[in-house]
Amino acid sequence: MSKDHDTPSGTERGGDAELDAAARLRLISDQQQLTRSMLEPDARLLYLAWGAAWMVGYLAMWFTSRDGSDPAPWAGWTLGIAVVAAIAVTMIHSIRRTAGTRGTSARAGAMYGWGWMLGFVTMWAILNGLIRTGADGEMIAVTANGLACLIVGLMYLAGGMAFQEDSLYALGVWMLVTAAVASLVGVPGTNLVMALLGGGGFLTMGAVSAVRVRRRGNLDV
Amino acid sequence: MSENELDAVIHAPARLRIVATLAALGPGDEIAFPKLRALLAMTAGNLSTHLRKLEDAGYVEVTKTHEGRTPATYLKLTDRGRAAFRDYRAALSDLLKGTGA
Repeated sequence: MSKDHDTPSGTERGGDAELDAAARLRLISDQQQLTRSMLEPDARLLYLAWGAAWMVGYLAMWFTSRDGSDPAPWAGWTLGIAVVAAIAVTMIHSIRRTAGTRGTSARAGAMYGWGWMLGFVTMWAILNGLIRTGADGEMIAVTANGLACLIVGLMYLAGGMAFQEDSLYALGVWMLVTAAVASLVGVPGTNLVMALLGGGGFLTMGAVSAVRVRRRGNLDV
Repeated sequence: MSENELDAVIHAPARLRIVATLAALGPGDEIAFPKLRALLAMTAGNLSTHLRKLEDAGYVEVTKTHEGRTPATYLKLTDRGRAAFRDYRAALSDLLKGTGA
């Protein structure tokens, strides 16, 4: 190691100031990694929340309607509560992580977050419009699943583009495929497709993120 | 390149950590004082002292504002600070490469 400790550098030295170049570079990369991980939402947590919500909710819907009947009310409630819980986890976690920052990234993140909200509020209006025209349960089920996946897919495409993340874009493509399959399969299979391809897609991405975090940690050792 | 050619403002470990943290944010991003303090695990007094030196050097921009009725302070790296950090980091890498020479 090159150490010119006998030549004062004109800064406060002593104590932990006696660091060599390698230690300083490590200090920089550790601090920057900590900063990024503390300011960005933890993708593992969010994918797990949504994967679990879709898996449990849509499996309940499918399980009680697989004989061709309408899904049981408890299954509808399970899906509803699971989705509301996932929304709460996402909002609370993201707001906590990004609190105390402002500027370009905070603005982009807020616009992205509102995009999800606006998309699903619009979907709710469309479904209500369909119900008013007298659409039956089967039509509502197929439309609701297809629209939900379409919104998720397009938002991930937008996220991949805005944050320059290929994996997010890939998940968007996957969700659009899920939207198409869930719609074409029709009832009762549509709910099984939502659980396995949709919920499974989230959980797979959660696992991919977990492996990435571990690898990144190991690289720095 | 020897160690005494390194940027003296950034060279102190506490300020190096501050600048590294601010450089991890995007060029258009600012961070509130309490959040920065939490990321660095420094005391408020210590952090203020170092931030003043960085501000005097033109590396950090301090914005004092109000959120509702509470005063808030936001920090960001200036373009000059970002360039100085980049140079400092490059100098460290050069030092490391020169190890065997």
